[in-house]
Order: sequence, then structure tokens, then C-alpha cells
Amino acid sequence: MKRLSPFMIGFLVVAAIAVVVLGMRVESAILIALFFSTLRQTTPLLLTALGGMFSERSGVVNIALEGMILFGAAAAAISVERLEAPMLAADPLARSAWIPWVGVLVGMLMGGLVATVYAIAVIRYRAEQIVTGTAINLLAAGAPPVLMQALYNTTTNSKEVENRLINIPIAGESISPLVFLAFLLVPLCWWVMFKTPWGLRLRAVGEQPEAADTMGINVYRMRYTAVILSGLLAGLAGAYLSVGFLNQFVKNMSAGQGFIALAALIFGKWHPLGVLGATLLFGFFRALAIQLQGGEVMPSVVVEAIPYVLTILVLAGFIGRSRPPAAVGKPYEK
Amino acid sequence: MMRYLLLAVNFVVVLLMAIAPWAVLKREFGGVGVLLTPFDLVNPQNLELPAMNTGWATPFFWIWALLVLGTSVVLFLPDARTRARLLYAIGVVGLALFAAEAIVFYQSVEAINGPALEAGTSPRRLPLRRFSLSLGAYLGVFFSLGMLILARLQLPGGKAFLVRYRGVVVPLVSLLLASFIGALVVGFIRPGLGAEGKVLPLLDAVATKLDLVTYTFQLLFSPIISLTGWFQSLLLATPLIFTGLAVAFGFRSGLFNIGAPGQLTLGAICAMVVGVYLPGPGWITLPLSIIAAALGGALWGAIPGWLKARFGAHEVINTIMLNYVAASLFLFLIASNEYKFFGATVHLPFKAEGFEARSNEVREGSRIPLMLDLLVRDGHISWAIPLALLLGLGVYYTQRRADLSRRLLISGAAVLVGYAAGGFLPGPAVELTSALTSSRFNGAFLLAVLALLFYNFYLFRTPGGYELRAVGLAPKAAEYGGVNLRSKIVLAMAISGALAGLAATHYVLGGGVDEYRLKQSLPTGVGFDGIAVALMGQNTPIGISLSALLFGVLLTGGLDLNQQLAISRELVTVLQALIVLFIAAGGFLPRYFIDPLQAAQVETEARAEQEDHERALIGRAG
Repeated sequence: MKRLSPFMIGFLVVAAIAVVVLGMRVESAILIALFFSTLRQTTPLLLTALGGMFSERSGVVNIALEGMILFGAAAAAISVERLEAPMLAADPLARSAWIPWVGVLVGMLMGGLVATVYAIAVIRYRAEQIVTGTAINLLAAGAPPVLMQALYNTTTNSKEVENRLINIPIAGESISPLVFLAFLLVPLCWWVMFKTPWGLRLRAVGEQPEAADTMGINVYRMRYTAVILSGLLAGLAGAYLSVGFLNQFVKNMSAGQGFIALAALIFGKWHPLGVLGATLLFGFFRALAIQLQGGEVMPSVVVEAIPYVLTILVLAGFIGRSRPPAAVGKPYEK
Repeated sequence: MMRYLLLAVNFVVVLLMAIAPWAVLKREFGGVGVLLTPFDLVNPQNLELPAMNTGWATPFFWIWALLVLGTSVVLFLPDARTRARLLYAIGVVGLALFAAEAIVFYQSVEAINGPALEAGTSPRRLPLRRFSLSLGAYLGVFFSLGMLILARLQLPGGKAFLVRYRGVVVPLVSLLLASFIGALVVGFIRPGLGAEGKVLPLLDAVATKLDLVTYTFQLLFSPIISLTGWFQSLLLATPLIFTGLAVAFGFRSGLFNIGAPGQLTLGAICAMVVGVYLPGPGWITLPLSIIAAALGGALWGAIPGWLKARFGAHEVINTIMLNYVAASLFLFLIASNEYKFFGATVHLPFKAEGFEARSNEVREGSRIPLMLDLLVRDGHISWAIPLALLLGLGVYYTQRRADLSRRLLISGAAVLVGYAAGGFLPGPAVELTSALTSSRFNGAFLLAVLALLFYNFYLFRTPGGYELRAVGLAPKAAEYGGVNLRSKIVLAMAISGALAGLAATHYVLGGGVDEYRLKQSLPTGVGFDGIAVALMGQNTPIGISLSALLFGVLLTGGLDLNQQLAISRELVTVLQALIVLFIAAGGFLPRYFIDPLQAAQVETEARAEQEDHERALIGRAG
């Protein structure tokens, strides 16, 4: 396992200090709110970045994560709304525990489906990965509004659902069960990636596909699996946004979180623990930006830009060096 | 194998012709209409229809059925030359049939509308309105064109013929595939026109669905038949030309500039700063504002270029990140004039008075005039600009043989002559409709034409452009040839950024949306649309202008689609995305359409085959 860069740790420490310093000047209630807000903001980034890690470790750049989140979010919200409609028509106060989970599942599958289309284009037809990813993102900007216009007669948002995921109460706040799931996935992904034969094969395919092929590994199948896995997780992140965090789909609701996740992936050096650190940091900045709105410390638009600037600095090597998998972005030809 | 596939296609064509509407005799605003199928008149909403000639569709259908049957037989003939000849004949006959259908249809409509018009009915209240031919008739055109291509394929070198024009074939195939999927989506999400909340017989239901799909595409392409439509389409195409050129310039240099939205934003900010705050006469401040837009974009493009050249950081991630940084900066400048950093207050001058986040208005002198004001002087059409453009471009393209500097010089002179002559020519008086005067189509379009010329000129006619293209095709070979890779990367990204930045002139200086200022509604997404334009245009100047125009038309038609059929205009975005996806995947065509080496091999083989054939002919004669 590669060590995390000292700078990465340094940043986490700085962030922690910032929290404490802010905490001395503000009441602890705000601090607690900031903590939980950070968890909520981190969750979609973490889920997406972990998925992206599989894809990129297998040698497929996944710039389409943003689009997969959006498709997942739209599918989850719309399926929940369609499922609960007959029930609510009978009894407006009826609630169901399983409907939102079906929505989450549909969101995941939608993400997986879109990822399959992406995978077929870039693996089977060796399409340029960045161009194809951009096409998927463009599709995700256009397709949900077309569908919503037909279903709800508006392109901007879906109908609000009554059955959203039920939050788990903790310390006076409440957070979605998907938050726990996201953080539990980190050790699982680490184990899969570094302690199982499958993980070893995946990394081999991303570093040296020819060598892996010689050893009898099916490069195409590994890449298909990895890309579809990334789609499932991005779809889950989308479902979290639409039926966990909010209760409807809003046009372009991911607002670049797929790209931030991609940045976190680079920042975290394609490693599950690094990804955890990076997404926590970026999630913290997002939470801070919300918390600082209208305050005297710093304009929130400036705070929002920090993750992007940090990523540029990391890529340039100003803060640690980040090396992508060797075969990333290159189609494999047998 | 291929023959049996074509046989299946023929079967589908006949089936579709039998059930699809051939013409729409009359249509209401919401799209509901009276459909004429070969065997039936489908009128789901029981609209009132005068007695008219509707019997023509049936015989035409039977002729087509015979023709398609004939094609199926021809496909199995042993001799390639006979096959080709017959297929050519079928294609020509098909096109003639379509022309006959059109004539018969429009005469039958005229027979009803003509007397009504003479009787004094206002053109808006004629008995037949919004009539048109429909899918069944259009299918014939597509079938005939397909047969003409198929005929060429039967002859020696047929495959090489398609491969040689792969720059046109791949985008067109992708466009067709995308339209097909778009049609499926439309058919899936909307009930057939007039079939809403009704149970129709199966065949009628299918006919109304096919009518819906056809009408959707008719609406999308409808702007090309009206002057207002052209104005609006060119208005929407203007920024697409800029961003398409920006992306294409990157592609040609081997770089993927996905940062056009950010570069456009920076261009807008710089154009606003110069346009609002620089005092002076318009003929100085306007060019300076335009240059500022280019410089702002160039700066934002050069940053990722420098990061790549200096540190090897991939430009794709960096341009995406810079898009978001630019968006934050944009909001920071126009959202408020007072910010607090750790308690200290910082003042900015940019935000205008009022609640809305927007900058001050650009000074009158620094605005780009509206196209209408350039084209029409005192109620008379002025030929100055059209003639200047026409002469300049005409001379530039006809003087291919001339030495470059000479060529530019005489084209420049031709522009001046055209402008002067056009100014003196008397233009006819015109009555301007309110739709035309309210159009925001402005002089930024002329800048876009200049940018197209610059792209063509710089990349393909100068040593610097040659070096950039060399870097794009084979960086190592270019470096070995003495090109400084690092400086070329920065330069390429800067020029690409400048082109994207110039798109901002359309919005900020030309008031392309509504006002001459920065607003939150600045449509930076056209930066991404530029990718579709560049791919569809295959990075050639003519291709980019045509594909920008195509998307401009579709976006304009999308407005009608929204109003009349309640289908979201975002359908055009879906089509764009699908086109990009399919072009990236090579239109799902065989590998030799995408790989230049394999394409060259196909052409070489074809040439050898051709020579063998000729030698055999000579041998036979001898």
C-alpha cells in the first residue's frame, strides 16, 4: 500500500484546526452542524470517487461519472414517484419503508446501464474515452428534462416524493443510512483492491494490459466489470442526492460533483484511503461554503472554488505527486 | 448475407409505407391533424375536412411496392454492372415518383385553398392549413438515395468510394442513427397526435405515432423555410461556430480543450470590463473590447497549456477544474459589490444596482450593432456587407493558385470594393416584421466568419499552423523535425482559448441573449456544444460552419417543438449527445472507416482492382 503524502495529511490537519478555531469563535451547535453537513456533502463524492477508482484502475478514464450520477438521481426520484402514486391516491398519508429502497436500486441500475453503454463504446468500439464521456454527460443534461417534460410538464424538477429514505437519528441530528454505507464501503474497497486476486488482476489490467492478457486475464471482461461497477456506485450517489438528501430530482442537481469526485480520485492517488481523505476534505469545503453563506469570514463562492484549485496544484505536482495508472485512457487492442 | 439484410430492409420499407401517413391534409396548432395513409383517412379528432382528392396515395403506394419488389430481384442478379445500372435507374425513378407525389398533393390542396383564397378568406383561415407530405412520401426519397449509393457500391472501387468520403459518411451515419433513437424516444414519451386518451384501432394508433415522430422532425427543421427562422438559426449558430472552432483547434493540435465554457466566461468578464469602463470613441473601444474577450479566453486556455508543457498535467482535468474556477470568479464579480474576508471588507465596482446578479451595461459605443441595422439602412436593404462578404470569399476561394500574400491582398481589396459598390447600389425597400426587428442576430456573426477564415488560413496556410498539425498527428516526429513541443502546446491552448473567449462577444458586446451585460444566465454550456460541432464538422472549416448551422436550426426548431407539441427543447441536446457518442464510436461502421491506415489500404486495393479490371478490358479488346 502506498503511503499517503505528508501534504495530504497536512491538509487534513489544517482543516481540523480550522474547525477548532472556528469552533472557539462560534457555538458548538454550529460546529456539530458543520460536522454532519460535512458527512452529508462527502457521501456522494465518496461513493462516486470509489466507483471511479475501479474504472480508472482498470485503465478506463471515467469522465462520465457526472452523467451517471444525474441518470441515477433522475431514475431514483421518478421510480419512487411512480411507485408511490397509486398508494398515495388511496391514502395521502400512507408511507412505505421499501419504496425508497427500490428507488435506490433503480438509481443504481440506471447508473450501471449508462455505464454499460459507455463501456461498450470505449471498450468494444475503442471510442475516444474523453469524447464519449462528454457525450454521456451531455446526454445526462438533456434526457432527464425531456422525460420530466413528458411526465410532469416541467423540465426543471420532478414531483416531490413523500417516501424518501428514512434518516437515522444521531446526537440531535439525523443522517441517511447511505452515509454509513458509503463510509463502510471504503475498507471493503480497500480489501477488494489490495487483498483479493480480483483486485490484483484489476490493477494489472490498468498498468500493463498486455502482460495481464499473457497471464490469461480477460482484459475486456475486467474493464467491463470495473466500468459497470463505477456506474452502479455513481448511480447510488445520484439516488442519495434525489431520495436521500432531497426528495425530488432537480435539473443538473449534481452540479459538478462527478467532476469533484474525479478530482478527489486524483487527489487521493487512486487509493481508497486517499480517496476517503480527499473526499472528506472536499466535502468539508462544500459544507463550509454553505455554513459561511452571508458570514464575515470568507465569501462562499471563494470557498467553493478551493477544491478545484487544489486539484490543479496537485496535478501539477506542487502538493505531492499524483501518478495515474499507466494504461489509463488507452483502448486495448488484442 | 448483406443481400438478405437488404431484403429485410425492403420488406420493412414496404410495410412502413403501407401504414405510415403519406400526407397531412390539415393540422391544428397542437399538432392534431387529418392523416392520409394509402388505404385510409385517419382523423382521430374528427376535424372538419372539405371533400378533396385523396385517392392518389393508393396507386402511388402500389407503384412503390412494385419498385421495391423489383429492387429485391435486382439484388440477386449475377452481373455487377447490370445490378448497378438497374439500381441507378430505380433510384432515379424513385426520385421522380416523389416529385410526382409532391405535385399531385400540392395541386389537390390548391384545388381547395385556391378558390377559398379568391373568395376572400384570409390566408390564416384557409380550409387547409399546415398541410405537408409526411413519412410515407419521405421514405421514398431516402430509399431512392440509398439505392443510388448502393448502385455505386456495386461497381469496382465502391467501398473505396465510401471510405474516401468517410469525413462525410461517419457524421451523416451518426446523424441518422441519432435521429432514429431520438424518434424512438419521442414515440415512447408522447402519445400519438390526436390519440391522447383515446383507444384507436391498432393501425390508426401506429399511424398517429409515426405522424408524431415525423412532425417532430419537421418542426425541428422548419426554421430553414422562413427568413425569421434563418435569422434565429444564425443567431444561435454564432457562438457555436466560435466554440466549435476552439475545440477543433485543440483537436488539430492533439489537445482536448474541454474548457471552452471557462474560457468563454473569462472572455465575457474581460469584454465587460473593457466595454463598460474604457472611455473613448466607439471605433477604438469596440475593437479593444473584442480583443479583450480574446485575451481573456487565451489566458484561461494558456494556463492548462502551460501546466501540461511544464509539469505534464493532463489538460482535460485541468480545463474542467478551470471551468468551475471561472464560474466561481464570474459569480464573485457580479453577485455582490461588498465581500468580507476575515472581517475586513473588500469593495468591487462591477455589480449593477438592484437585486439581480448582473454587471453594468456595456457603453453604447462598445456594442456590436445588430445585423438588421447593418443590412437595412433607412428602410432599404443595403448590399454593402453581403456584397463585401460574397466578393471577398469568392475571390479568396477562386484564387487558389495565387501566392498567399497576394491572395489575401486581392481578397481584402475585393471586400473593400464590394463594400463600396454595395453602398452605392440601390436596395429595394423592405417592410420589417416585428419578429425580425426583435431578433438579437448581431455583427458577432461576421466575427465568427472572420474566425473561420483565420482557422483555415492559420492552420492550413502558414508554417506555424503546419507545425501545430504536425504536433497533433505525431508529436515525436514533430519534435524530431525541430518543433518546440512545449511552446506549441501553450500556443495551441492559448489560440483555442481565444476562439472560445470570442464567443463572449456575441453575448456581452452583441447582446445575443437580451442585454449588453454579464448575467447569471450566460449560457456557458455552448462550450460543451462546441465539442459536438467540432466532431460533426470533422475539424474542417466548412464542416464546422455547416454543423454549427445545423445545430442552430435544430435549436431554433426546438422552440416550436416546445410550444406546439410540449416536447422539451432539450431533445436537441439529446440528439447532440447521441451524435457525439456515435461519431466517437465511428458510427459503428467497420474499422477501415476510422483508422486512416486501414482506409488507405482499402483505397490502394481498390485502385489495384480498378487497374486489373482495365487491363482485362484492354486484353479482351486486343
